[in-house]
Amino acid sequence: MTLTALARNVRVPEQDSCETRVKTTLRAVISDNFRSVAAAQGKAIAPLADGLVLLDSGLDSLCFAIIVAMLEDELGYDPFTEAEDVCFPVTFGEFVQFYDRDR
Amino acid sequence: MEVARLPSVLVTGASRGIGLAIVKRLAASGYTAIALARTEGPALTEAIEEARGAAKGAIEFVPFDLSNLDGIPELVRELRARSGAIWGLVNNAGLGLEGLLANSHVSQIEAVIRLNTTAPIVLTKYVVRGMMAGGGGRIVNMSSIIGSTGYNGLSVYGATKASMIGFTKSLAREVGRLGVTVNAIAPGFIDTEMTAGMGEEGREQVMRRSALRRLADVEDVAAMVEFLMGDGGKNITGTVVTIDAGNTA
Repeated sequence: MTLTALARNVRVPEQDSCETRVKTTLRAVISDNFRSVAAAQGKAIAPLADGLVLLDSGLDSLCFAIIVAMLEDELGYDPFTEAEDVCFPVTFGEFVQFYDRDR
Repeated sequence: MEVARLPSVLVTGASRGIGLAIVKRLAASGYTAIALARTEGPALTEAIEEARGAAKGAIEFVPFDLSNLDGIPELVRELRARSGAIWGLVNNAGLGLEGLLANSHVSQIEAVIRLNTTAPIVLTKYVVRGMMAGGGGRIVNMSSIIGSTGYNGLSVYGATKASMIGFTKSLAREVGRLGVTVNAIAPGFIDTEMTAGMGEEGREQVMRRSALRRLADVEDVAAMVEFLMGDGGKNITGTVVTIDAGNTA
């Protein structure tokens, strides 16, 4: 199920609560993909805290390429293609924000 | 990785010449060949009908101008949504620029590099991501013997065809761990519209200088693509297969 579909199915009275839940879901979707790619590639992954520097996460650049491809399938967009600059997020928190910004 | 039934193979420049032969061969072998070209043309229309009648594989025409680099991400997204995972990619589309470099306009040089080098690299970028996520795939880049031998009046074309070899070898190392193979085919002088300008005398000369005393044809190239797409190609990556009837032997 895509994030948009998930968000559509969330039934909460407050707008803020809905937004919070969508953000939580986005983080969960991204975290799940980090873990599944790490498992598939036989990498030990560090705990996914906001401050985790991606270079220290245990994943290599090939893993990140797979994660971006899988997230595009799941979320329906690729913020790296749509971005005008060429910078890559440094920390896990920035990575989530990058996807949240383009949602 | 075992090839699934009716996997999709995207072939660029598929409305004529080598590209057309490739989609026909792939469809006859049970693949769904996605034929990318600017316009369909009567030969491709006929091939689509033939494939439909044979009911083995299929040929699907998708109109697209590869010089539109900005449209490539959306093209790949649409193809994956429509046809599912793309198992194979054949970067075949190419533009020939004949003439002395000193007389070539910069816009002509740029157009050839854009279509022959930049477009296949960008298209591969977006297609290979799906292959990486899916755990396998096959990429074939169309080079040419001109990329290594050189030919009077084809310096820009030769440069772009040499670039495909460097691209092939490096990408093969990047994505090999994920079960994606990347190879190049270097055809010699083949009987297509692109070599029609050589004239009968030129063709005779090429044949005389070839070990097999003949020209390779589009079917030879199509057969190699089919081989590389199938199980036989699973342990072949980062290499260049020359198909020239022994012209460079």
